[in-house]
Amino acid sequence: MLNWTYRELLAAPQQLLASVAAVAGAFALVLFFAGVFTGESRQIVALIDKTDADVWVMQKGVGNMHMTTSFLSDWKIDAVAAVDGVAKVTPILYLNSVIQAGGRSWFSYVVGIEQGDGRAGPWKSAAGARLPGPGQAIVPDIFASDAGLKIGDKVRIAGRDFTVAGFSADTFSMANSVSFVTLSDLADTMSSVGAVSYLLVDARPGVDPAVLAERIRTQVEKVNALTRQDFSRRDFSIAVQMGLEIIWMMTIIGGALAVLLTGFIIYSHISDRERELAVIKALGVRDRVIWAAILVQALVIGLLAYGLAVGLIYLAIPLTEALVPKVSLGMSGDSLIRTGGLAVVVSLIAAAIPVRRVLAVDPVTAFQQ
Amino acid sequence: MSSTILHAENLTKTYGEGRTLVRAVDGVSLDVASGEMVTITGPSGSGKTTLVSILGALLRPDSGSVIIDGVDISTLSDARVSRLRARTIGFVFQAFNLLEALSVRDNVLFPAHLAPGGVRAAQERADELLARLGLSKRRNALPGTLSGGEKQRVAIARALINQPRLIIADEPTGNLDSKSGQDVLMVLHDIARDEGRAVLIVTHDRRVEDVADRILWLEDGHLRDRKQDDHEWVRDPVCNMAIDAWISTLFTEHQGQRYHFCSVRCRERFTATPERYLARFETPVKLSERSPS
Repeated sequence: MLNWTYRELLAAPQQLLASVAAVAGAFALVLFFAGVFTGESRQIVALIDKTDADVWVMQKGVGNMHMTTSFLSDWKIDAVAAVDGVAKVTPILYLNSVIQAGGRSWFSYVVGIEQGDGRAGPWKSAAGARLPGPGQAIVPDIFASDAGLKIGDKVRIAGRDFTVAGFSADTFSMANSVSFVTLSDLADTMSSVGAVSYLLVDARPGVDPAVLAERIRTQVEKVNALTRQDFSRRDFSIAVQMGLEIIWMMTIIGGALAVLLTGFIIYSHISDRERELAVIKALGVRDRVIWAAILVQALVIGLLAYGLAVGLIYLAIPLTEALVPKVSLGMSGDSLIRTGGLAVVVSLIAAAIPVRRVLAVDPVTAFQQ
Repeated sequence: MSSTILHAENLTKTYGEGRTLVRAVDGVSLDVASGEMVTITGPSGSGKTTLVSILGALLRPDSGSVIIDGVDISTLSDARVSRLRARTIGFVFQAFNLLEALSVRDNVLFPAHLAPGGVRAAQERADELLARLGLSKRRNALPGTLSGGEKQRVAIARALINQPRLIIADEPTGNLDSKSGQDVLMVLHDIARDEGRAVLIVTHDRRVEDVADRILWLEDGHLRDRKQDDHEWVRDPVCNMAIDAWISTLFTEHQGQRYHFCSVRCRERFTATPERYLARFETPVKLSERSPS
């Protein structure tokens, strides 16, 4: 029976290919939207991941960076540096703000770094200076090309004009970009005196970051300390959470589309083969076995479509980066598993659609000419 | 020693109700023994398909019983009836009904999935059947590339793969040329004789009468025995054509007498003015009880 099930599908390879491609389109849609959210969410934690500090220290009660404010008194820099196992402490000031240039505006993390210290600065330079000097800003290259900015042009950050000294790469996303100014300029802009936002802590070799974070939490008053992985995971999940409803909505729309397509394909397939179904019923094959064969066919179509959709998305990632650099596309294990599960559910529902038709096939019709 | 494989008693099946009620099968009783080849024949619409569907456990009768190889199928669930069909009955259809996606060999092996031992146990038998039916060289061919005769031989091999006690063949020669039809008939004949299977053939093919052990005539849902040489030759009172009343389906009753016609036209002319034609024939226009042997 399994032999017949597969041969039936493969008997019309072009029809099978068209079916799989159509359903793959629906799954690719789901994966694409999930990919956009994943890519954007990864960009949101790019600063945390790329600067690669072992431990992040922040104001007590704060546990993430996205859409958050953290203030630490600057004396805590020395207090943290004094903790056993700390190799280096790098303070940053941080502001969620809007950057304006060329009549356009973008939401951005504005990161104030100590002048000349690249530890928390841009991780990849596209053009010009890598680090900002007084009155200067390093902005994302895509931001610059969108606004038509050149090095030496002005951008407005939190009500103050800065001169563009360089362009950074891999710092732009549609939801959130990262721009860099000096710590003292940002402190001045924020009217913040004697305070920083976060401390990037590098551990001495051999020191477990989790142990170090625990030490900092217990030894330094009113701070929270998280390993880079923990801090990044928290921000990433918050970012994804923000888009979760849209992702689910797209999953449901894509899933419904896939159910309709697969259901129609399976239903048509059965309608075309009612006589063969009548014959195999006459030969003694039971309805539930026939339904199981149809389910296998639906699963084959669903899973092949899923595989094709995954392939298409992985092809789309470099293409999107090249053609639409503003869009950050990324795949996560979660979205792959979710869409894989969707493929199975779609197949189950699609196989259930023609059940009545299968049951209605009368084996007696096998005797008809 | 032969034993009864198929026993049907007082089968009735009706369709519709009230004025549209049709008695497709009406009080039919029948026995087919092992080694016996029985033919059911009759005019179109006489209920042959309904009867063969009931006898093949594909359709439940309104009343009556069917016992196949000692099992009363009216007492079985649908699932067990399916299993009985798979293991006890082999079907041969007029339209061959091969599974187009499967090769000849896979078609033959298809019912083996439903039998104890499965396909593995049936592989050798499939090859034997293909060899016996002259299909060894076509074992990997797809049905679409076969001739009608080859297709029907594949269908016969498929019907035999589970070694069923009963073979039901519906117009097995209906779509074949005379040579292929003759071959298929001889194969079915040998199956009954050599393997002791009960073979029930529904057909219009007069050649089957030459090899069948019994011929049954079904008309208006009623079944009656008919010997090979049973004919009742009468004349059409309108055109004087000789007609076999056994198989004639065009007739009318007039003054207690049945008159047979060669065509609807003759019957209409007779019905309009029977006196005109009866005047030519004072006695019923019967030629003989039996045809010359």
